[in-house]
Amino acid sequence: MKTFIGSLIAGLLLALPLSAHAGNVTVKGSDTMVILGQRWAEEFMKTTPATKVQVTGGGSGVGLAALQNGTTEIAMSSREIKDAEKQKLRARYNTTGVQIPVAKDGVTFYVNEGNPLTALTVEQLRGIYVGDVTNWKQVGGPDAPIIVYSRENSSGTYVFVKDHVLDGEDYAASAQTLPGTAAVVNAVSKEKNSIGYGGSAYAKGIKELKIKKGNEDIAPSAENIKTGKYPLSRDLYFYLRNKPAGEAKAFIDYALSPEGQAVVTKVGYFPVK
Amino acid sequence: MRLATLLTLCVAPGQVLAQEPPSTPAGEAAPQAPSADTQTPSEPPPADSAPADADLDERMTNAEGKVAALEEQNAETKVDLSALKKLKISGYVQARYQYQQSLDDSGTGGFSRFTVRRGRIKTTYTTDWSQLMLQIDAVPTTGVTVRDAEATLYIPGTHQQMGLTLGQMKWPFGYEAVQSSADREIPERTRVVRAFLPDERDRGVKFAGNFLGGKLNFSGGVFDGDGIFNQGYVGSDNDKEKDAIGRAGFDLGWVSGGVSGWYGHTITKGPTDTYRKAYTRDRLALDAQLYLDVLPIGATAIKGEFITGKSYWKSSGDVKIEQPGVPASGWYGLIVQNVGLTDAVAVRYDFFDPENGRKNSTSEGRPASTNSVGTLAVAVLHYFGEHFKVTAAYEMPVTAAPGAPKDPHDNLFTLQMQARY
Repeated sequence: MKTFIGSLIAGLLLALPLSAHAGNVTVKGSDTMVILGQRWAEEFMKTTPATKVQVTGGGSGVGLAALQNGTTEIAMSSREIKDAEKQKLRARYNTTGVQIPVAKDGVTFYVNEGNPLTALTVEQLRGIYVGDVTNWKQVGGPDAPIIVYSRENSSGTYVFVKDHVLDGEDYAASAQTLPGTAAVVNAVSKEKNSIGYGGSAYAKGIKELKIKKGNEDIAPSAENIKTGKYPLSRDLYFYLRNKPAGEAKAFIDYALSPEGQAVVTKVGYFPVK
Repeated sequence: MRLATLLTLCVAPGQVLAQEPPSTPAGEAAPQAPSADTQTPSEPPPADSAPADADLDERMTNAEGKVAALEEQNAETKVDLSALKKLKISGYVQARYQYQQSLDDSGTGGFSRFTVRRGRIKTTYTTDWSQLMLQIDAVPTTGVTVRDAEATLYIPGTHQQMGLTLGQMKWPFGYEAVQSSADREIPERTRVVRAFLPDERDRGVKFAGNFLGGKLNFSGGVFDGDGIFNQGYVGSDNDKEKDAIGRAGFDLGWVSGGVSGWYGHTITKGPTDTYRKAYTRDRLALDAQLYLDVLPIGATAIKGEFITGKSYWKSSGDVKIEQPGVPASGWYGLIVQNVGLTDAVAVRYDFFDPENGRKNSTSEGRPASTNSVGTLAVAVLHYFGEHFKVTAAYEMPVTAAPGAPKDPHDNLFTLQMQARY
């Protein structure tokens, strides 16, 4: 029996595949980052045609879940990994994961161009999104009901706003969820009394609200976001199970290179280097 | 064009016929040619366009109504789903084949058996400020038992980082006792943990919190102290003594660990006692975990824990007997090497000294129950996707032998298939 068991274990050991590196690189996660990831992939594949980089969205939570169940090599996330997600990586892969900031962004609140307001405090935004403030006149605007647009809860931006604006409280039941930032921008541009939020890269054709802090109205400008002065600045991340190797490392090296960081600026975000 | 003509004939035969000259009986005068006014009816009357617009308006109104109804249904569905999202149902089954050698050449002991070690169903319902958790175990040997039944209140404003839990839950002590059995690499917990924290659970109240962004954590509370197996008193405490138990830990990502303490008493009758009396029941533990990413084949984890204390439980068949006031200690070290995304190898050595240095004794050439035991275990794991894991483990207990007892042939092979959702 000893011989049998020894042989069985030896056989199982020999059967273990010694390499996990696939030929292609899969990148999945944050919808905020999906355009950025796709541009990086396009540019990277021009210089490295042998490597295929596949970029898909779905939200930060989806990307980090894919990282935990082994279906993506790189997860894009617009928020930091949660403790529970880290614990799952530990339990399954004996690693806490590798976090790589690849760009900076400021979560921007959008209103329709016809809205006379230019700035709101974080507390006013919280009031609107938890449902305490339902009419624009309550925050100095016209007498009109507020139509609130939000993101789906798999979105890192949704979580960021919940944590940093709503102070952990639930969104109002009346908030309408839309599947992507582009959809939020589109809805706000068409609906006069609406408000939405998303990454600054998408803020085209609508008005970006400044954040009122004390006597100052802080715009989500490049300088304010890079220095962290804008209160809703955040990093955008790549997450991996282990330290990058092979094609994944080459892709990340490109994203962090001067050329890759130039793409960040072109897309509308802000470089980390 | 022909088709159009045919359709026109079929649809408006009356009109076509009306344009034909009426047949007249022979000899009757032919009717007069129609006037110019009567020759134009073949053109569509202006009024025809008005009904078309009305039809379009009606269709639009209907469509808008349908969209509004769908939006309403969607809103209702979202409200229903938002409640369902708070509910999480999970579970796992660990089914095994095990082979243990005969203890000696006479063929005593040993087994070859199929078992279902764990069959868990866990329900968790989490809101912003509370959580319900109920976990049951359903297996052929012990039937259905309640493992966890917890009611947690999250402290407002802490983003669920601090909470108070009342119910039946795991003792907040050490690392391995708290770790889920579904996540462990070696099928069973170490001897020292099984001796000091059998079944890992008790009824009590616990505070748990994370501080400094999760870098520090604390979990501690007051418990009955007798666990969930207390023979004759299952589910209730047989004395008024309560035990204070807790762990303070740190987590810096690649390294984590903690120190755990347990202070309490058990009222029981020792082997030489006439009446029941209070015995000290305490434990102290240190644990540490390292997560390294140095080898190209995958991550490496190194884990260790040391526990010392008094009044542990000794298993005697299916019965666990408390050893009042008896000091004991033990430790373990574990290395897990991931190989790619789907495989891992684990090696663990655990040591348990049941009477803290008391000289080992022998009985007819066999080790006595007071012998210290070291166990070397090797396991190979393969993950079939996210939900299925196969473990082949071989455990070799090595009994210390200062009195020259014979190390029994009790090596154990376990092949386990774990399915979870």
